[in-house]
Amino acid sequence: MKRIIYLTISLLFIALSVQAQEEDSFEKWGPTTGLKGGGFIARVGYVIGGTTPLPLPAEVRKINGFKPRGGISLGIDGYKMFTKRWGVSAGVHFFWEGFHTDADVKNYYVWLEQEGEITKGYFTGTNVTNTELWGVTLPLLATLRMSPRWNVSAGPYLSLYFGQTFSGEVYDNKDGVGYLREDTPVGTKILMTKENPTPYPDNFPDKMQPVALGIEIAFDWKAMKHLNVFGLLDWGMTDIWDRNFEAITFKMYPIYATLGVAYRY
Amino acid sequence: MKKASILALVVVPILLGSCIRTEEENTECDIEAVSLHLDTPSEFFYHDYDTIQTVISTDTDIVFTIRSYANVQRVPTTLRVTAGAAVYVITEDGTRTPFLNGSLVDYSNEQVHQFLVVSENKVWSRKYSISVVHDVPSEGNLSIGFENYYLDPSGKYYIWEAPDVFTDGTWKNGNPGFKISKSSAKPLDYPSTPVVGGGPDGSDCLKLETCDTGPFGRIVNMRLASGSMFNGVFDVGNALTDALKATQFGTPYLHKPIMMRVWLRFEPGSVFQDRNGNKVEGVIDEPDAYVVLYRNEDAEGKKVQLDGNDVLSSPYIVGLGRLPHNYNEDGSDKFSNNPIHGLTNEWKEVTIPVEYRAELNADELADKGYSLIIGFASSWGGAHFKGAIGSKFYIDNVQLFCE
Repeated sequence: MKRIIYLTISLLFIALSVQAQEEDSFEKWGPTTGLKGGGFIARVGYVIGGTTPLPLPAEVRKINGFKPRGGISLGIDGYKMFTKRWGVSAGVHFFWEGFHTDADVKNYYVWLEQEGEITKGYFTGTNVTNTELWGVTLPLLATLRMSPRWNVSAGPYLSLYFGQTFSGEVYDNKDGVGYLREDTPVGTKILMTKENPTPYPDNFPDKMQPVALGIEIAFDWKAMKHLNVFGLLDWGMTDIWDRNFEAITFKMYPIYATLGVAYRY
Repeated sequence: MKKASILALVVVPILLGSCIRTEEENTECDIEAVSLHLDTPSEFFYHDYDTIQTVISTDTDIVFTIRSYANVQRVPTTLRVTAGAAVYVITEDGTRTPFLNGSLVDYSNEQVHQFLVVSENKVWSRKYSISVVHDVPSEGNLSIGFENYYLDPSGKYYIWEAPDVFTDGTWKNGNPGFKISKSSAKPLDYPSTPVVGGGPDGSDCLKLETCDTGPFGRIVNMRLASGSMFNGVFDVGNALTDALKATQFGTPYLHKPIMMRVWLRFEPGSVFQDRNGNKVEGVIDEPDAYVVLYRNEDAEGKKVQLDGNDVLSSPYIVGLGRLPHNYNEDGSDKFSNNPIHGLTNEWKEVTIPVEYRAELNADELADKGYSLIIGFASSWGGAHFKGAIGSKFYIDNVQLFCE
């Protein structure tokens, strides 16, 4: 996956050096002539990011590890320029994104419910989380041509999830500290160890919202006549969890960036 | 500039993700250990290791037992508490005085001292008591009817009074562990319960039942809980990570047991299952009942504590009496379709003689160098989460005879 980032960044640099040698004009880099003032952009990109509470709660003491999972986006946008600088675009982006994280937490409130049985309290130790999401994002963006070769677009998006996974487990940290205080910080102290980790119940994905709303910001750079290099950010504004899900007390938002190349028609 | 804006798209979320906030102050306020500093501990205590007590999270009454004739006065006392927590001594008129580790505490006349531990964030506090009591002379023979029981402070499960010589005077069992996995259970749904008027003589008796631990039990692969009853300590803190360690068997005993006589009744559950919850054909569940005497100090003077790993197999065991079972040739448990324990669904008085494999040292016996275990379980494989859900083991009128 890292290779894709390097490749994208190298392409960007090559493109930038090419740019220096040419004279740019809005006409030259304008919308391709296929459709009047408009066209299509087919995108392929690498997705990296995470689903996170914002700001990070004080219970999170240390991020020990982070690994992206999945990380592919395929999409097509249609755009239409109304003036030399302003236009709109709308698209359909299929994605598969996710991550694995390993964090040390202190006094992290957990509330687990399985078939009517409830375990709750304050956990201190290592918390491992894995999540994957796949679905489609439908952005509707306003586009500004900042320069002949640079476009910046921003606007809302709607994501529909076809599938989601959310799993994890808790155990002791590197210092051997791992326990749940049942109900309150003065409740029974129940030890947890890596040899016998306690997994999250498997009903977490059922508690996830099937849709999300957010803001997308996209930067497109026209590297060649038909080739764009782009970076875009999908910033989720809605909590991934059902409102009545008590296991996680803070709201979590999906924030994923996509880097890639696009064919512009 | 433009390069920077694209890089920012990648860097900003990562920075946000790694933005760790200032650590909040601790909320916990436990006494984790108490130690008394005496120049000649053996004059006061039976074992040198008795001067230090680690305190499990559910305990708030810390009691040191000294020799019946010993006379303690002011003893330097050190408490290990949660980091950042403040310790106060509460005097009789209710005033709080900060307590400094190493301060002298007057334990004469079995005074009970109240301590208040306040968490670093000052929101939470816990009250503890610390006292030093004299050993109670015991006659040796015990007679136990399981007639005195009450609900625990949470009102979830029953606790039975035990002879004074047993740790804190109560019987121990897995009920506190069952509470973690099955929060919805009512007191009579627990593995260890009383039966009013259920005894052979019409008095109350004890019922141990192997129970399903529910969805959380399945998550941690501890699918059943055998009903249990023993003397010692149940450290619920270990119940999820190392269940065998949670059951710490035995209390020091001054007498040599020779046999246990007890009324028993047993009804096996219909389906025997292995740890993974798979049905095992051709095995009928069996109960367990045993008396163990073991040496509680090793050659270096360190404490020997039997737990679920070695309660019946430790090399420190000197005497053992157990309900009959089938064994494999190598001595391991043989689960069978032909139990030989001889119990039925009708009450029966059973005598279990204690067989000795080593001579007892009379001086060590008099110096509490041996610990006694009396244990019962509704599934003899229950420590390894094997058994039949619904196995019921009724127990009453336990008599222990000593030399």
